[in-house]
Amino acid sequence: MRVAAAADLAIAFKEIGTAFEASSGKKVEFSFGSTGLLAKQIGEGAPYDVFAAANISYVDEVVKADACDGASKRLYAKGRIVMWSKDKAQLPASLDELRDPRYAKIAIANPDHAPYGLAARQAMTKSNVWHTVEPRAVYGENVQQTMMFAQSGNAEVAIVALSLAVTSGGSYVLIDPELHAPLDQAMVVCKGGSEGGKPNEARSFVDFVASEPGRVIMRKYGFLLPGEAAPPPSK
Amino acid sequence: MNLGPLILSFEVATLATLLAAVIGIGVAALLANYRFFGRDLLDVIFTAPMVMPPTVLGYYVLVLLGRRSVIGHAFEALTGSSIVFTFVGAVVAATIGALPLVVKSVRAALEQTDPTLILAARTLGATRLRAFFSVQLPLATRGIAAALMLAFARAVGDFGVTLMVAGDIPGKTRTASLAIYNAIQAQREQEAMLMVVVLTTVCLALLYAVGKLTARRTEDR
Repeated sequence: MRVAAAADLAIAFKEIGTAFEASSGKKVEFSFGSTGLLAKQIGEGAPYDVFAAANISYVDEVVKADACDGASKRLYAKGRIVMWSKDKAQLPASLDELRDPRYAKIAIANPDHAPYGLAARQAMTKSNVWHTVEPRAVYGENVQQTMMFAQSGNAEVAIVALSLAVTSGGSYVLIDPELHAPLDQAMVVCKGGSEGGKPNEARSFVDFVASEPGRVIMRKYGFLLPGEAAPPPSK
Repeated sequence: MNLGPLILSFEVATLATLLAAVIGIGVAALLANYRFFGRDLLDVIFTAPMVMPPTVLGYYVLVLLGRRSVIGHAFEALTGSSIVFTFVGAVVAATIGALPLVVKSVRAALEQTDPTLILAARTLGATRLRAFFSVQLPLATRGIAAALMLAFARAVGDFGVTLMVAGDIPGKTRTASLAIYNAIQAQREQEAMLMVVVLTTVCLALLYAVGKLTARRTEDR
C-alpha cells in the first residue's frame, strides 16, 4: 500500500508506519512531498492508496478530480508552526524579532502550494513583520526542505511544522495559532490510479491513525487531535 | 502573464553561458592542446556534472559555497550578500550544468582544426598562444558557437541545482523552470503552459541553429 503524505508528516508517519505494520502485518510505503504537488499527482492518476494532506482543501480537490473517495475523508490532526533554529542563541523569542537584520535569511515553505508555508506567511503578515521579512525570505519546496535550509546553517531561522521540530535537536518557539488559518489536516482513501487501489488496507491505515496507538504517536509530535483542544507541550 | 521568471531565466542563462565560455574554452584548450599530469582527471571533473544527479551537485554547492563554508562566508563578508539564495547562486547553478557541454564540444572543435595550419603559423614565428588565438580559435568558431548555444539552452533549463541552492525567491531566483514547477503544483495550468511553450520554442530554435552550424562545417570540408 502506498501513502502520499505531506512533508510535515515525514517523521511522525514513519513511526506510525512501523506501528501499523507491526499491528496489521501489512506493508506500507510513504512518499513525502508538498501537499500541492502530491494532490496534483494524485489528480493525474498517481498510484497512491491514501492521501494525507497538510490542508483539507487539497483533499477536496483530489475528491473532485474523482481520484479519491470523498466518503472516506477524515480530519486526523491540526498542525502547528514554530520558529526553528539550529542553536538556541540564534532563536528569536517572537515573530516581531524577525525584523532584526541579523536574521539575514528566513526560510519558509513555498506558500503557493505548501500549507505550512502559507500559514507562516499569514502569521507574519498578521504580526506586521512580513513586509520587512519578505526581502529576506527564502522558499523551500516543502516544509522538510525548508528545515534543511536552517539545519545546514544557510538560513538563520526557519518557520516549519512543530512535528518536524520536536525531534530535530534544534530549538524552537511556538507561533500563536490564532495568527494563521487553521492547518486542518485531512486524509482520504484513494483509488490507486491505473493500478487500482487497495481500499481495504487503505481504510485500515486511516483507521489506525485515528486509533489510540496512532493518536499517541501523533500527539508525541505535537499535533492537536480531533476532539482535543489542549495545546502541545512547549520546549 | 508574469514575464519575470522568463526574463530572469534568460538573464541567468546569459551570464552562466559567458562564465561557462570563459572557463570552458580555457579548459577545453588545455585538454585539446596539452598533455600533462592529471589531464584525464580534469576531463572527468568537468564532464561529471553532465551525468551526476542535480541533488549531488546541489549538495556540493551548499557545502562548498553555502553561508557556513569558507568561500561562501568570505563572499558574504566582501559583498554583503551570500552566494546561495541570490542571483549569483542561480547563475552558479546554471553554469555547473552548462560547463560540460562547453568543454566537450569546444574540445572536439579544437581537435578537429587542421594541425598543419597551426604549425604553419608557428614556423612564421607565432607563439603558441598567438597561434591559438589567431589561428586555431577562429577555425573552431562554428563549433564554439554551437557549444555556447547548447550551454545556453542547458542553463535556461536548469532545475534541480537551482531548486536546492537558490531559494526559489520570486523576482530574484525563481527562474522559469522553477516557476513552471510552482504553477503546476498550485494548479495554475495556463501560466505553466505559456512558459512551457516559450521555453520549448527557445530550446528547439537553439537546437536547430546548432544543427545548422555543425552541419555546414562538415559540408565546407
